[in-house]
Amino acid sequence: MKKEEAQAEQAFVERAKQAFDQSVDGLDAASLSRLNRGRQAALAKIERPRQLWLPAAGAAAAVLLAVVMLRGPEVDVIAAPASDLEILLSEDSIDMFEELEFYSWLDVAELEGDGDVG
Amino acid sequence: MTADTAVFAVSCTVKPTGARTLHKERQLEQFLADVERRALRIAEIGVRDRDEALDLVQDAMIKLVKNYSNRHEGEWPPLFYRILQNGVRDWHRRQGVRNRVMVWFQKAKKTDDSDYDVIAAAPDPVGRSPDEELQNSEAMQDMESAVHDLPTRQREAFMLRTFEGLDVAATAIAMGCSEGSVKTHYSRAVHTLRDRLGEHWQ
Repeated sequence: MKKEEAQAEQAFVERAKQAFDQSVDGLDAASLSRLNRGRQAALAKIERPRQLWLPAAGAAAAVLLAVVMLRGPEVDVIAAPASDLEILLSEDSIDMFEELEFYSWLDVAELEGDGDVG
Repeated sequence: MTADTAVFAVSCTVKPTGARTLHKERQLEQFLADVERRALRIAEIGVRDRDEALDLVQDAMIKLVKNYSNRHEGEWPPLFYRILQNGVRDWHRRQGVRNRVMVWFQKAKKTDDSDYDVIAAAPDPVGRSPDEELQNSEAMQDMESAVHDLPTRQREAFMLRTFEGLDVAATAIAMGCSEGSVKTHYSRAVHTLRDRLGEHWQ
């Protein structure tokens, strides 16, 4: 292709592009509005990633809560009545513990007196 | 797993997903906003009807978003125009069938070409005198008419290369053909248009 021919072709293409760009700039407001609505409608079709971990996390939290609630009372049963357990495991009679106040007085009386108790 | 490791693992698996989606959505919106007006005019030259062209552009935008939103943004222009050109071709096929049916029933309408008013369809240019506007409109009307009358492949190659500014490779993707075919169609289109439009466009 001759140089002049190539330049003429380039000039033609540039003029065509210029005329096209001007027609684009001259689009009316109604068409631009419809384009905008069409674009928004298209963007609404974007698939967003689902939060699959949310249901699993909820289920795990529920299981954890249930375990804590079931195990909670056992802690009180074991910790609180330690003295009662000692009484039950003791070789002494339960009657002794029930009359502990009497036997305490008896010990004191024996130490202070001459054994004349009763 | 240490506390730092745990925080890193959470931040890697959860936060970027939402941020990446939002970033991609913004890129896609920007691309569509950039391309939509030129796409409308290109489709309009192809079908000679603005309402139909608006529908075709919207369909192309929806298909791009649904099928190719995860692709790299550099791939969007040829993909978008491939969808749009397919839509224009389908539109012509449907019109062909419709016209044949209408002729058969003796209800064929006059073609839209004689009623099409480019000045009314592309009004309100900014900053130009009425004479300039008229000259540009007439020039563009001549150009549109000549481009519309090109064979389909030549028309596609010329509009994508000249009006949209796609390179040969992207035009080949958009047209679904080889780069050599694009060069051939484009060259023939330019020669045909120059011959038809004459000295005023040289």
